[in-house]
Amino acid sequence: MKFHLALWFGKFINFLISMVDKSRGTNLAGEKAMKIDPLMVSHFKGIDPEKVLFITGTNGKSTTNNLINHIFKANGKKVVSNLEGANLIYGVCTALIKASSLGGTVKADYYIFETDERYVPVIREQLPAANLLITNLQKDQVQRNGDPDYIYRKLKDAVSGGDLRLFLNNDEPRTKSFDDDGKTVVTYGAEKHAEAFNKDASYVTMACPKCHHKIAFDYYNTDGIGRFHCVNCGHSSNAEADYSVTDADFTNRKFKIGGVDFDMPYDTPYMIYNYSAAAAVAKELAGISLEDSAKAFGNFKNVGGRFEILKYKNKTIKYMRIKQENPETLQTSINVMANDPNRKMVCLGLCPLVDLIPHYAVSFYAYDCDFSKLVRSDVEKYFCFSDHVCYDTVNRFIYEGVDPSMISVADTEDVNVIFKEIEEAETDNIYLITWLHTYEHMEKYIKEEGNK
Amino acid sequence: MSELKIAWLFPDTLFLHGERGNLLALKRYGEMAGMTVSVNKIDFATEGFDPGNYDIIFCAPGEISSFPAVYDWLLPYKDKLDEFIKAGKPLIVTGTSVGLFGSEIVRTDGSKIKGLGLVSLYATENNDVYGDDNWFECVYNGQQFQMIGNQIQMNDLVLTGAEPFGKLEYGYGNCGKNREEGAIVNNSIFTNTLGPMLICDPWLTVEIIKVAASNKGEEFKGIDYDMELEKKSFETKKRLITTKESRLVNCK
Repeated sequence: MKFHLALWFGKFINFLISMVDKSRGTNLAGEKAMKIDPLMVSHFKGIDPEKVLFITGTNGKSTTNNLINHIFKANGKKVVSNLEGANLIYGVCTALIKASSLGGTVKADYYIFETDERYVPVIREQLPAANLLITNLQKDQVQRNGDPDYIYRKLKDAVSGGDLRLFLNNDEPRTKSFDDDGKTVVTYGAEKHAEAFNKDASYVTMACPKCHHKIAFDYYNTDGIGRFHCVNCGHSSNAEADYSVTDADFTNRKFKIGGVDFDMPYDTPYMIYNYSAAAAVAKELAGISLEDSAKAFGNFKNVGGRFEILKYKNKTIKYMRIKQENPETLQTSINVMANDPNRKMVCLGLCPLVDLIPHYAVSFYAYDCDFSKLVRSDVEKYFCFSDHVCYDTVNRFIYEGVDPSMISVADTEDVNVIFKEIEEAETDNIYLITWLHTYEHMEKYIKEEGNK
Repeated sequence: MSELKIAWLFPDTLFLHGERGNLLALKRYGEMAGMTVSVNKIDFATEGFDPGNYDIIFCAPGEISSFPAVYDWLLPYKDKLDEFIKAGKPLIVTGTSVGLFGSEIVRTDGSKIKGLGLVSLYATENNDVYGDDNWFECVYNGQQFQMIGNQIQMNDLVLTGAEPFGKLEYGYGNCGKNREEGAIVNNSIFTNTLGPMLICDPWLTVEIIKVAASNKGEEFKGIDYDMELEKKSFETKKRLITTKESRLVNCK
């Protein structure tokens, strides 16, 4: 009875939210309903654990989830999912409330949920998924997690028992080290592509998750991910992943998996692993052939906000969203700018972290990132802005060898100041890297004032 | 031109929080002081490690799970590291790795990891991470100054005789319950402050290089560098610290 009360209450909340704004409230119904029935997720009927997939990891969860959903739906499969990105147990619960009948029965072909890497054990206690996909486990959210091993240990606990089918990134050392933990292991990866890179010897790599010695990378396809081996114990990428992106052609936006031609929906190298992961899941979980997966790739549209283009007067502002405390997403943005041969202005707003209390002035992750190729490219000027972190950002460029006279600085996130600096650039090719909050203010400013 | 030799302990195993920046700072300021600076990475593959051959040793934070392996490797060098510290040479240890140089680390499950016992403290792993700015006053090489950095606290430190490195103006410091920040033994620093501390607080960097030069019997020729950028950074971060919401009460 408690379950049904919770379910009906949750549905009522969803109804109210849908009256206000359909895009909101992805956690709320589940959160409130689970106050009535804390074990609510375990009480839904009709869910076959063999058809349930959790997608977890540091980066790429939402993209992978969206792409898998897109492929499945394009191939006639009914999927219940949390595509809005609410990836705690409340988000999963909300999705199930929406999909269920008034009696709590859910009828779908597959249940595919993005799950926060910290909460996989908690969610799996109530929804014993038989399939787990790990994208990567990297430095991220250190104020919450401290170090990658903190998450690694939680996930190790979650997969103990060996009853899972694991989809593992062949080229990310922590993820790949789960290869002894699954009932079945499916690896996905990518061969070295044209935008692969190396870092010089002053950069660190990481500790082997098995023996703690050095992990050596032959190359990085995206930061922290590439063909690797431990210098001591032999932990390494397989010579070939079960599903591997080959022949990646970023210019013509094509690639292959298993010899099958695919359109490349986005020409950003960091998404390559999302592509092979999605194709692997489609084939192994749902029996969707590579050919049928490929048909869906051409019209895939990813969730917004990661890479956006703004027009401001005569300027084209290319915004790339980074996760603070996360060197991999910053390195990805740096690489995109570095690979642009045109003259450019670089606006970098590394901001204090506004997440938990207290907020703090963090920029140390920038020292894990290699700016050298960007600095060697054609940069007209650098602009470092943000309350409290801007001077440290200037120093990061200076330590990379940038002439201080090329750097301007503003100890503010005032969009008027940012746009004034952009207006003064001679180039119309502007890159903006900052957190979402500042970008949203800039986008709003452009809509209201920008092109007057 | 003299040579400044720096050993960087286990950079790929103790690899957290962009601490590479500290090596860049030591190199930069060492070169500004007219020295030739070499940075040698020391790890499991190194043969014939002799701490005495170095002017500065730096050790960054790592995952606690890696510490037993690092401890086992460093143990044969314990006496030489002790001599290094007693000789007044700068061993700079940051973040979680401080526990490795104390007597032990007590993990959340009650298990213990041995430490080298080179500084009188022990560490206790916390269930939850605490991340914040820290701001403290310290005296190093006879100079008094203030530092601002970051702290990602996985372990609390309990001093069992070691002198604190700094007195907190704000921050969690060793345990969040008093104003102690880190520990100092002669010219060796064991601090919770992590990230590119020596870039952000170059006044400490310069003193470390002065100490290293002095230990070699060399005259420190001075550094002609305007620290205006770093001073502005310090002041703006101080403004953040003094105006932000915090639940810490240890410095009130």
